[in-house]
Amino acid sequence: MESASVAVGHAHADHHHGPPEANQSSRIDRQTLGILLFIVSEVMLFGAFFASYFFLRIVVDPPSWPPEPFVLPKAVAGMNTAILISSSFTIHYALESIRRGNRTGLKLGLVATWLLGATFLFIQINEYVHLGFSARDLSFGSIFYCLTGLHGAHVFVGLMLLSFATIRAFRGHFGPAEKDHLGVEVPGIYWHFVDVMWIIVFVTVYIL
Amino acid sequence: MRLNEAAVFKWVVIVGIAAAVIIAVTLLTRPLVGSLLGLAMVIAGAVYAYRRARERWG
Repeated sequence: MESASVAVGHAHADHHHGPPEANQSSRIDRQTLGILLFIVSEVMLFGAFFASYFFLRIVVDPPSWPPEPFVLPKAVAGMNTAILISSSFTIHYALESIRRGNRTGLKLGLVATWLLGATFLFIQINEYVHLGFSARDLSFGSIFYCLTGLHGAHVFVGLMLLSFATIRAFRGHFGPAEKDHLGVEVPGIYWHFVDVMWIIVFVTVYIL
Repeated sequence: MRLNEAAVFKWVVIVGIAAAVIIAVTLLTRPLVGSLLGLAMVIAGAVYAYRRARERWG
């Protein structure tokens, strides 16, 4: 009896080391599912800010929007939007490159995305400096800085994630297999979310 | 449809095109028209998402 159990134990040890494999019931891998659930919670956060914006604009209904004498720099924001949308294309290029085993393309795409994101953030901060109103100037100033600032914070977090991915790419960490480039895939999904949110913020705050 | 970066990128392009249409309509007409078009697009998107979800998991 004892020898039988020892034999079974040896057979088990030959096939498996460490703790048992975690059960995976979802067709999506854990990391991707995690970032998607995180994005759902972020959509709700942005939704609360948009609800405040539309309440102030439609329910409170001020005589003019933006209130006199505030003026929003639509052209600069439009250029910034183009920069951020371009960065979604570069991160997509980076991921398509690593899927084909092109490490140079991955590095190039990641560096380009990081630079475009940093340029966006720099222009945003520069816009804040030159706007001529602050978050303390009427409810318009508050909601403008809250919405754009919340987005800016997300861009900053995205840049941190991209920094880690870029450093890892230069150290040769990623490969063409799907499980071998999740460290770029997950920041890529987050970066696309940040991009989509900016498109919505730009259209809502600057255009409509 | 697999849920990965490529699928999300497709939605970035779709939202970008929809935003470009809204911006063009707003600049050519009035902000109210652009807002109504945006609202119509959001409702259409929600209906599409609901139908796809029913097909996939319903």
